Amino acid sequence: VRCQLCPPQRALQASAVLRRVSDEQKETFASSSQQQLDSHPSDQQPEQEPQGPRPSYTGQGGQESEDYESEEQLQHRILTAALEFVPEHGWTAEAIAEGAKTLGLSVAAAGMFHSDGSELILHFVSQCNTKLSELLEQEQKLVQLGEAEKKPTDQFLRDAVQARLRMLIPYIDKWPQALSVLLLPHNIPSSLNLLTTMIDDIWHYAGDQSTDFNWYTRRAVLTGVYNTTELVMMQDSSPDFEDTWRFLENRVADAMNMGNTANQVQSTGEAVVQGLMGAAVTVSN
Amino acid sequence: GGGVSLRRCSTRVSLEGVNRPVIDRIIRVDHAGEYGANRIYAGQMAVLGRSSVGPLIQQMWNQEKKHLKKFNELMVAYRVRPTVLLPFWNAAGFVLGAGSALLGKKGAMACTVAVEESISDHYNSQIRTLMEEDPEKYKELLQVIKQFRDDEREHHDIGLEHDAEGAPAYSVLKTAIQLGCKAAIFLSERI
Repeated sequence: VRCQLCPPQRALQASAVLRRVSDEQKETFASSSQQQLDSHPSDQQPEQEPQGPRPSYTGQGGQESEDYESEEQLQHRILTAALEFVPEHGWTAEAIAEGAKTLGLSVAAAGMFHSDGSELILHFVSQCNTKLSELLEQEQKLVQLGEAEKKPTDQFLRDAVQARLRMLIPYIDKWPQALSVLLLPHNIPSSLNLLTTMIDDIWHYAGDQSTDFNWYTRRAVLTGVYNTTELVMMQDSSPDFEDTWRFLENRVADAMNMGNTANQVQSTGEAVVQGLMGAAVTVSN
Repeated sequence: GGGVSLRRCSTRVSLEGVNRPVIDRIIRVDHAGEYGANRIYAGQMAVLGRSSVGPLIQQMWNQEKKHLKKFNELMVAYRVRPTVLLPFWNAAGFVLGAGSALLGKKGAMACTVAVEESISDHYNSQIRTLMEEDPEKYKELLQVIKQFRDDEREHHDIGLEHDAEGAPAYSVLKTAIQLGCKAAIFLSERI
Protein backbone atom coordinates (compact mmCIF):
# COMPACT_ATOMS: atom_id res chain seq x y z
CA VAL A 1 0.00 0.00 0.00
CA ARG A 2 1.58 3.21 -1.07
CA CYS A 3 2.12 5.62 1.76
CA GLN A 4 -0.19 8.43 0.82
CA LEU A 5 0.93 10.76 3.56
CA CYS A 6 4.63 10.73 2.94
CA PRO A 7 5.06 12.69 -0.29
CA PRO A 8 2.86 15.66 0.73
CA GLN A 9 4.39 15.79 4.19
CA ARG A 10 7.84 15.66 2.73
CA ALA A 11 6.80 18.31 0.29
CA LEU A 12 5.39 20.43 3.07
CA GLN A 13 8.48 20.05 5.20
CA ALA A 14 10.66 20.70 2.21
CA SER A 15 8.62 23.70 1.29
CA ALA A 16 8.78 24.97 4.85
CA VAL A 17 12.55 24.52 4.87
CA LEU A 18 12.89 26.06 1.45
CA ARG A 19 10.72 28.93 2.45
CA ARG A 20 13.12 29.73 5.26
CA VAL A 21 16.07 29.40 2.94
CA SER A 22 14.42 31.48 0.29
CA ASP A 23 13.34 34.11 2.80
CA GLU A 24 16.81 35.46 3.21
CA GLN A 25 17.78 35.62 -0.39
CA LYS A 26 14.55 35.75 -2.24
CA GLU A 27 15.93 37.72 -5.16
CA THR A 28 18.83 35.38 -5.75
CA PHE A 29 16.60 32.36 -5.36
CA ALA A 30 13.98 33.73 -7.72
CA SER A 31 16.47 34.75 -10.36
CA SER A 32 18.35 31.49 -10.34
CA SER A 33 15.22 29.43 -10.65
CA GLN A 34 13.43 31.86 -12.90
CA GLN A 35 14.08 29.72 -15.94
CA GLN A 36 12.47 26.76 -14.22
CA LEU A 37 9.48 28.76 -13.07
CA ASP A 38 8.84 30.40 -16.43
CA SER A 39 8.64 27.10 -18.21
CA HIS A 40 5.80 25.80 -16.07
CA PRO A 41 2.11 25.93 -16.83
CA SER A 42 0.76 29.43 -16.64
CA ASP A 43 -2.32 28.56 -14.67
CA GLN A 44 -0.10 28.13 -11.62
CA GLN A 45 -0.85 30.80 -9.09
CA PRO A 46 1.96 33.28 -8.36
CA GLU A 47 1.96 32.94 -4.60
CA GLN A 48 2.79 29.29 -4.92
CA GLU A 49 6.09 29.85 -6.65
CA PRO A 50 8.39 30.63 -3.71
CA GLN A 51 6.89 27.70 -1.87
CA GLY A 52 7.30 25.24 -4.72
CA PRO A 53 9.49 22.24 -3.90
CA ARG A 54 10.83 22.14 -7.42
CA PRO A 55 14.48 22.78 -6.59
CA SER A 56 14.65 19.80 -4.28
CA TYR A 57 12.53 17.26 -6.15
CA THR A 58 13.08 17.97 -9.77
CA GLY A 59 16.83 17.73 -9.86
CA GLN A 60 19.53 20.31 -9.46
CA GLY A 61 20.00 23.21 -11.77
CA GLY A 62 17.03 22.65 -14.03
CA GLN A 63 17.96 19.30 -15.43
CA GLU A 64 14.36 18.27 -15.93
CA SER A 65 12.65 18.88 -19.23
CA GLU A 66 10.22 21.73 -19.52
CA ASP A 67 7.14 19.53 -19.63
CA TYR A 68 8.02 17.39 -16.66
CA GLU A 69 6.03 18.04 -13.53
CA SER A 70 6.75 16.11 -10.38
CA GLU A 71 4.08 14.46 -8.31
CA GLU A 72 4.59 17.03 -5.59
CA GLN A 73 4.03 19.89 -7.98
CA LEU A 74 0.86 18.28 -9.26
CA GLN A 75 -0.39 17.74 -5.73
CA HIS A 76 0.31 21.36 -4.89
CA ARG A 77 -1.65 22.52 -7.89
CA ILE A 78 -4.61 20.33 -7.03
CA LEU A 79 -4.62 21.43 -3.40
CA THR A 80 -4.41 25.09 -4.32
CA ALA A 81 -7.30 24.68 -6.72
CA ALA A 82 -9.25 22.80 -4.05
CA LEU A 83 -9.12 25.71 -1.62
CA GLU A 84 -11.77 27.49 -3.61
CA PHE A 85 -14.24 24.74 -2.75
CA VAL A 86 -13.49 24.54 0.94
CA PRO A 87 -16.11 27.06 2.10
CA GLU A 88 -18.73 24.87 0.46
CA HIS A 89 -17.45 21.33 1.04
CA GLY A 90 -15.15 21.76 4.01
CA TRP A 91 -11.68 20.28 4.22
CA THR A 92 -12.69 17.08 2.55
CA ALA A 93 -12.00 14.83 -0.34
CA GLU A 94 -14.97 16.46 -2.13
CA ALA A 95 -13.21 19.79 -2.15
CA ILE A 96 -10.08 18.15 -3.50
CA ALA A 97 -12.12 16.34 -6.15
CA GLU A 98 -13.72 19.62 -7.24
CA GLY A 99 -10.30 21.21 -7.35
CA ALA A 100 -8.99 18.41 -9.50
CA LYS A 101 -11.94 18.85 -11.85
CA THR A 102 -11.15 22.54 -12.41
CA LEU A 103 -7.67 21.53 -13.50
CA GLY A 104 -9.12 19.15 -16.01
CA LEU A 105 -8.17 16.10 -14.01
CA SER A 106 -10.33 13.17 -13.00
CA VAL A 107 -11.99 13.32 -9.58
CA ALA A 108 -10.10 10.12 -8.81
CA ALA A 109 -7.09 12.38 -8.31
CA ALA A 110 -8.52 13.05 -4.87
CA GLY A 111 -7.55 9.47 -4.08
CA MET A 112 -3.92 10.62 -3.89
CA PHE A 113 -4.69 12.28 -0.61
CA HIS A 114 -5.69 11.23 2.86
CA SER A 115 -9.44 11.18 3.35
CA ASP A 116 -9.41 13.48 6.39
CA GLY A 117 -8.17 16.45 4.38
CA SER A 118 -4.87 16.67 6.26
CA GLU A 119 -2.78 17.52 3.25
CA LEU A 120 -5.22 20.19 2.13
CA ILE A 121 -5.13 21.89 5.51
CA LEU A 122 -1.36 21.64 5.87
CA HIS A 123 -0.97 22.97 2.35
CA PHE A 124 -3.20 25.90 3.22
CA VAL A 125 -1.32 26.67 6.42
CA SER A 126 1.99 26.48 4.62
CA GLN A 127 0.72 28.80 1.93
CA CYS A 128 -0.54 31.32 4.50
CA ASN A 129 2.79 31.25 6.29
CA THR A 130 4.60 31.90 3.03
CA LYS A 131 2.31 34.82 2.31
CA LEU A 132 2.96 36.19 5.77
CA SER A 133 6.73 35.92 5.33
CA GLU A 134 6.53 37.72 2.04
CA LEU A 135 4.41 40.45 3.58
CA LEU A 136 6.86 40.92 6.44
CA GLU A 137 9.79 40.86 4.02
CA GLN A 138 8.16 43.63 1.96
CA GLU A 139 7.51 45.71 5.04
CA GLN A 140 11.09 45.28 6.13
CA LYS A 141 12.35 46.41 2.73
CA LEU A 142 10.23 49.55 2.95
CA VAL A 143 11.65 50.34 6.36
CA GLN A 144 15.19 49.73 5.13
CA LEU A 145 14.61 52.03 2.18
CA GLY A 146 13.37 54.65 4.57
CA GLU A 147 9.93 54.67 3.02
CA ALA A 148 8.18 53.52 6.16
CA GLU A 149 8.56 54.00 9.87
CA LYS A 150 9.83 51.14 11.97
CA LYS A 151 6.92 49.96 14.08
CA PRO A 152 7.23 49.51 17.83
CA THR A 153 7.38 45.85 18.78
CA ASP A 154 3.88 45.52 20.21
CA GLN A 155 2.31 47.07 17.13
CA PHE A 156 4.44 44.93 14.85
CA LEU A 157 3.37 41.75 16.58
CA ARG A 158 -0.27 42.82 16.60
CA ASP A 159 -0.21 43.61 12.90
CA ALA A 160 1.63 40.44 11.96
CA VAL A 161 -0.72 38.18 13.93
CA GLN A 162 -3.73 40.03 12.61
CA ALA A 163 -2.53 39.76 9.02
CA ARG A 164 -1.99 36.05 9.43
CA LEU A 165 -5.34 35.44 11.10
CA ARG A 166 -7.17 37.46 8.49
CA MET A 167 -6.09 34.88 5.94
CA LEU A 168 -8.47 32.51 7.70
CA ILE A 169 -11.52 34.70 7.16
CA PRO A 170 -12.70 33.16 3.88
CA TYR A 171 -12.54 29.73 5.53
CA ILE A 172 -13.60 30.70 9.01
CA ASP A 173 -16.72 28.55 9.11
CA LYS A 174 -14.74 25.42 8.39
CA TRP A 175 -11.65 26.36 10.37
CA PRO A 176 -12.63 24.66 13.64
CA GLN A 177 -12.77 21.41 11.69
CA ALA A 178 -9.30 22.15 10.32
CA LEU A 179 -7.92 22.83 13.79
CA SER A 180 -9.12 19.49 15.06
CA VAL A 181 -7.55 17.71 12.09
CA LEU A 182 -4.27 19.52 12.70
CA LEU A 183 -4.28 18.13 16.22
CA LEU A 184 -4.49 14.52 15.06
CA PRO A 185 -1.39 12.63 16.20
CA HIS A 186 -0.13 11.93 12.70
CA ASN A 187 -0.36 15.60 11.81
CA ILE A 188 1.19 17.03 14.92
CA PRO A 189 4.83 16.99 13.77
CA SER A 190 3.96 18.89 10.60
CA SER A 191 1.52 21.32 12.14
CA LEU A 192 3.87 22.04 15.04
CA ASN A 193 6.72 22.60 12.62
CA LEU A 194 4.62 25.03 10.57
CA LEU A 195 3.51 26.87 13.70
CA THR A 196 6.99 27.23 15.17
CA THR A 197 8.47 28.35 11.86
CA MET A 198 5.78 30.99 11.51
CA ILE A 199 6.28 32.31 15.02
CA ASP A 200 10.05 32.36 14.51
CA ASP A 201 9.55 34.30 11.28
CA ILE A 202 7.40 36.90 13.01
CA TRP A 203 9.97 37.43 15.75
CA HIS A 204 12.79 37.53 13.24
CA TYR A 205 11.13 40.32 11.29
CA ALA A 206 10.17 42.04 14.54
CA GLY A 207 13.89 42.39 15.03
CA ASP A 208 14.40 39.83 17.76
CA GLN A 209 18.09 39.27 18.20
CA SER A 210 18.02 37.39 21.47
CA THR A 211 20.57 34.64 21.83
CA ASP A 212 19.75 33.60 25.35
CA PHE A 213 16.78 31.94 26.98
CA ASN A 214 14.63 34.87 25.91
CA TRP A 215 14.64 33.28 22.48
CA TYR A 216 12.44 30.56 23.90
CA THR A 217 10.26 32.64 26.19
CA ARG A 218 9.44 35.12 23.45
CA ARG A 219 8.44 32.43 21.04
CA ALA A 220 6.45 30.56 23.66
CA VAL A 221 4.58 33.72 24.62
CA LEU A 222 3.81 34.67 21.04
CA THR A 223 2.62 31.14 20.30
CA GLY A 224 0.24 31.45 23.23
CA VAL A 225 -1.00 34.80 21.99
CA TYR A 226 -1.52 33.46 18.49
CA ASN A 227 -3.31 30.30 19.53
CA THR A 228 -5.65 31.98 21.99
CA THR A 229 -6.49 34.73 19.52
CA GLU A 230 -7.21 32.12 16.87
CA LEU A 231 -9.64 30.38 19.22
CA VAL A 232 -11.35 33.66 20.10
CA MET A 233 -11.70 34.36 16.40
CA MET A 234 -13.60 31.11 15.92
CA GLN A 235 -16.27 32.31 18.32
CA ASP A 236 -16.31 35.94 17.28
CA SER A 237 -19.36 37.32 15.53
CA SER A 238 -18.60 41.03 15.81
CA PRO A 239 -18.31 43.10 12.62
CA ASP A 240 -14.92 42.50 10.99
CA PHE A 241 -13.84 40.56 14.06
CA GLU A 242 -13.27 43.73 16.13
CA ASP A 243 -13.53 41.79 19.38
CA THR A 244 -10.77 39.47 18.24
CA TRP A 245 -8.41 42.32 17.42
CA ARG A 246 -9.16 43.96 20.76
CA PHE A 247 -8.41 40.65 22.49
CA LEU A 248 -5.17 40.44 20.50
CA GLU A 249 -4.19 43.94 21.54
CA ASN A 250 -4.71 43.10 25.20
CA ARG A 251 -2.76 39.86 24.97
CA VAL A 252 0.17 41.53 23.24
CA ALA A 253 0.15 44.26 25.91
CA ASP A 254 0.20 41.54 28.57
CA ALA A 255 3.14 39.90 26.81
CA MET A 256 5.06 43.16 26.78
CA ASN A 257 4.40 43.66 30.49
CA MET A 258 5.52 40.12 31.16
CA GLY A 259 8.83 41.02 29.55
CA ASN A 260 9.28 43.96 31.88
CA THR A 261 8.37 41.94 34.93
CA ALA A 262 10.80 39.23 33.92
CA ASN A 263 13.58 41.80 33.63
CA GLN A 264 12.79 43.14 37.09
CA VAL A 265 12.86 39.66 38.54
CA GLN A 266 16.17 38.99 36.86
CA SER A 267 17.84 42.14 38.17
CA THR A 268 16.61 41.38 41.66
CA GLY A 269 17.96 37.85 41.30
CA GLU A 270 21.32 39.13 40.10
CA ALA A 271 21.56 41.53 43.02
CA VAL A 272 20.87 38.68 45.41
CA VAL A 273 23.54 36.51 43.81
CA GLN A 274 26.08 39.29 43.97
CA GLY A 275 25.30 39.74 47.63
CA LEU A 276 25.82 36.05 48.27
CA MET A 277 29.08 35.98 46.34
CA GLY A 278 30.32 38.95 48.29
CA ALA A 279 29.45 37.15 51.51
CA ALA A 280 31.23 33.99 50.33
CA VAL A 281 34.38 35.88 49.39
CA THR A 282 34.34 37.72 52.71
CA VAL A 283 33.97 34.48 54.61
CA SER A 284 36.72 32.74 52.62
CA ASN A 285 39.16 35.60 53.27
CA GLY B 1 46.36 39.85 22.78
CA GLY B 2 45.45 37.56 19.91
CA GLY B 3 42.66 39.69 18.48
CA VAL B 4 42.48 39.95 14.74
CA SER B 5 40.12 42.56 13.35
CA LEU B 6 37.09 40.54 12.44
CA ARG B 7 34.96 41.87 9.65
CA ARG B 8 31.64 42.98 11.06
CA CYS B 9 29.19 40.24 10.25
CA SER B 10 26.27 41.54 8.26
CA THR B 11 23.00 40.73 9.92
CA ARG B 12 21.78 39.06 6.77
CA VAL B 13 23.71 36.13 5.52
CA SER B 14 22.82 34.21 2.42
CA LEU B 15 21.17 31.07 3.71
CA GLU B 16 20.73 29.68 0.26
CA GLY B 17 22.40 26.33 -0.20
CA VAL B 18 23.63 26.31 3.37
CA ASN B 19 23.57 22.90 5.01
CA ARG B 20 21.19 24.02 7.75
CA PRO B 21 21.42 21.05 10.11
CA VAL B 22 25.22 21.09 10.14
CA ILE B 23 25.59 24.86 10.49
CA ASP B 24 22.82 24.98 13.08
CA ARG B 25 24.66 22.53 15.28
CA ILE B 26 28.02 24.15 14.83
CA ILE B 27 26.84 27.61 15.72
CA ARG B 28 24.62 26.46 18.56
CA VAL B 29 27.32 24.43 20.26
CA ASP B 30 30.04 27.05 19.69
CA HIS B 31 27.78 29.72 21.13
CA ALA B 32 27.09 27.53 24.14
CA GLY B 33 30.81 26.85 24.50
CA GLU B 34 31.82 30.49 24.47
CA TYR B 35 28.97 31.28 26.84
CA GLY B 36 30.17 28.57 29.21
CA ALA B 37 33.80 29.71 28.92
CA ASN B 38 32.71 33.22 29.81
CA ARG B 39 31.00 31.96 32.93
CA ILE B 40 34.00 29.83 33.89
CA TYR B 41 36.32 32.83 33.76
CA ALA B 42 33.74 34.89 35.64
CA GLY B 43 33.75 32.26 38.38
CA GLN B 44 37.53 32.23 38.47
CA MET B 45 37.66 36.03 38.66
CA ALA B 46 35.15 36.05 41.49
CA VAL B 47 37.59 34.05 43.61
CA LEU B 48 41.02 35.00 42.24
CA GLY B 49 40.24 38.47 40.90
CA ARG B 50 42.41 40.21 43.46
CA SER B 51 45.27 37.73 43.33
CA SER B 52 48.39 37.87 41.19
CA VAL B 53 46.79 35.92 38.35
CA GLY B 54 43.77 38.23 38.36
CA PRO B 55 44.92 40.39 35.43
CA LEU B 56 45.84 37.32 33.41
CA ILE B 57 42.46 35.70 33.91
CA GLN B 58 40.78 39.01 33.14
CA GLN B 59 42.69 39.20 29.86
CA MET B 60 41.64 35.71 28.82
CA TRP B 61 38.09 36.49 29.89
CA ASN B 62 38.05 39.58 27.69
CA GLN B 63 38.98 37.49 24.68
CA GLU B 64 36.17 35.05 25.47
CA LYS B 65 33.77 37.96 25.67
CA LYS B 66 34.80 38.93 22.14
CA HIS B 67 34.26 35.36 21.00
CA LEU B 68 30.79 35.27 22.53
CA LYS B 69 29.89 38.56 20.89
CA LYS B 70 30.92 37.16 17.52
CA PHE B 71 28.83 34.04 17.97
CA ASN B 72 25.86 36.11 19.05
CA GLU B 73 26.11 37.88 15.73
CA LEU B 74 26.51 34.67 13.76
CA MET B 75 23.57 33.14 15.59
CA VAL B 76 21.30 35.98 14.51
CA ALA B 77 22.68 36.03 10.97
CA TYR B 78 22.17 32.31 10.43
CA ARG B 79 18.92 32.26 12.41
CA VAL B 80 20.10 29.51 14.70
CA ARG B 81 18.31 28.80 17.95
CA PRO B 82 20.37 28.82 21.12
CA THR B 83 20.55 25.72 23.27
CA VAL B 84 17.81 25.35 25.90
CA LEU B 85 20.51 24.50 28.38
CA LEU B 86 21.94 28.03 28.51
CA PRO B 87 20.64 28.78 32.01
CA PHE B 88 22.21 25.52 33.14
CA TRP B 89 25.57 26.32 31.53
CA ASN B 90 25.32 29.74 33.15
CA ALA B 91 25.29 28.21 36.63
CA ALA B 92 27.50 25.19 35.89
CA GLY B 93 30.20 27.30 34.23
CA PHE B 94 30.36 29.71 37.12
CA VAL B 95 30.47 26.89 39.65
CA LEU B 96 33.26 25.15 37.72
CA GLY B 97 35.28 28.35 37.49
CA ALA B 98 34.80 29.30 41.11
CA GLY B 99 35.28 25.73 42.30
CA SER B 100 38.55 25.26 40.42
CA ALA B 101 39.75 28.66 41.62
CA LEU B 102 39.05 27.69 45.23
CA LEU B 103 41.65 24.94 44.69
CA GLY B 104 44.15 27.74 44.20
CA LYS B 105 45.77 29.49 41.28
CA LYS B 106 47.11 26.24 39.87
CA GLY B 107 43.66 24.73 40.13
CA ALA B 108 42.23 27.55 38.06
CA MET B 109 45.00 27.12 35.51
CA ALA B 110 44.34 23.40 35.37
CA CYS B 111 40.68 24.05 34.69
CA THR B 112 41.65 26.47 31.92
CA VAL B 113 44.01 23.93 30.37
CA ALA B 114 41.36 21.21 30.43
CA VAL B 115 38.59 23.34 29.00
CA GLU B 116 40.69 25.05 26.36
CA GLU B 117 42.09 21.74 25.18
CA SER B 118 38.56 20.36 24.81
CA ILE B 119 37.43 23.43 22.98
CA SER B 120 40.33 23.54 20.54
CA ASP B 121 39.93 19.84 19.70
CA HIS B 122 36.26 20.50 19.16
CA TYR B 123 36.94 23.49 16.92
CA ASN B 124 39.40 21.39 14.96
CA SER B 125 36.80 18.77 14.21
CA GLN B 126 34.36 21.47 13.14
CA ILE B 127 36.98 22.89 10.81
CA ARG B 128 37.41 19.44 9.34
CA THR B 129 33.64 19.09 8.88
CA LEU B 130 33.33 22.45 7.15
CA MET B 131 36.32 21.77 4.95
CA GLU B 132 34.72 18.49 3.88
CA GLU B 133 31.43 20.25 3.18
CA ASP B 134 32.47 23.28 1.16
CA PRO B 135 35.40 25.47 2.14
CA GLU B 136 34.35 28.23 -0.24
CA LYS B 137 30.78 28.54 0.90
CA TYR B 138 31.71 28.59 4.58
CA LYS B 139 34.80 30.73 4.19
CA GLU B 140 33.84 33.34 6.76
CA LEU B 141 32.72 30.83 9.32
CA LEU B 142 35.92 28.83 8.81
CA GLN B 143 37.99 31.94 9.30
CA VAL B 144 36.21 32.72 12.54
CA ILE B 145 36.55 29.21 13.92
CA LYS B 146 40.21 28.99 12.97
CA GLN B 147 40.96 32.28 14.67
CA PHE B 148 39.09 31.26 17.79
CA ARG B 149 40.80 27.90 17.83
CA ASP B 150 44.15 29.68 17.81
CA ASP B 151 43.02 31.92 20.67
CA GLU B 152 41.88 28.96 22.74
CA ARG B 153 45.16 27.19 22.05
CA GLU B 154 46.94 30.26 23.36
CA HIS B 155 44.88 30.19 26.56
CA HIS B 156 45.75 26.53 26.94
CA ASP B 157 49.45 27.31 26.64
CA ILE B 158 49.17 30.18 29.11
CA GLY B 159 47.56 27.79 31.57
CA LEU B 160 50.43 25.34 31.21
CA GLU B 161 52.99 28.13 31.56
CA HIS B 162 51.43 29.09 34.87
CA ASP B 163 51.99 25.70 36.37
CA ALA B 164 48.60 24.10 35.79
CA GLU B 165 50.20 20.69 36.14
CA GLY B 166 51.11 21.55 39.71
CA ALA B 167 47.45 21.62 40.68
CA PRO B 168 46.15 19.11 43.23
CA ALA B 169 45.10 15.85 41.50
CA TYR B 170 45.83 17.42 38.13
CA SER B 171 45.17 14.40 35.92
CA VAL B 172 41.96 13.48 37.71
CA LEU B 173 40.76 17.05 37.60
CA LYS B 174 41.63 17.39 33.94
CA THR B 175 39.91 14.14 32.96
CA ALA B 176 36.78 14.97 34.90
CA ILE B 177 36.50 18.43 33.40
CA GLN B 178 37.08 17.17 29.88
CA LEU B 179 34.41 14.52 30.31
CA GLY B 180 32.06 17.25 31.41
CA CYS B 181 32.96 19.29 28.35
CA LYS B 182 32.29 16.33 26.07
CA ALA B 183 28.86 15.87 27.63
CA ALA B 184 28.13 19.59 27.34
CA ILE B 185 29.10 19.58 23.69
CA PHE B 186 26.98 16.52 22.95
CA LEU B 187 23.91 18.00 24.62
CA SER B 188 24.24 21.54 23.29
CA GLU B 189 24.49 20.30 19.72
CA ARG B 190 21.17 18.57 20.07
CA ILE B 191 19.02 20.47 22.50
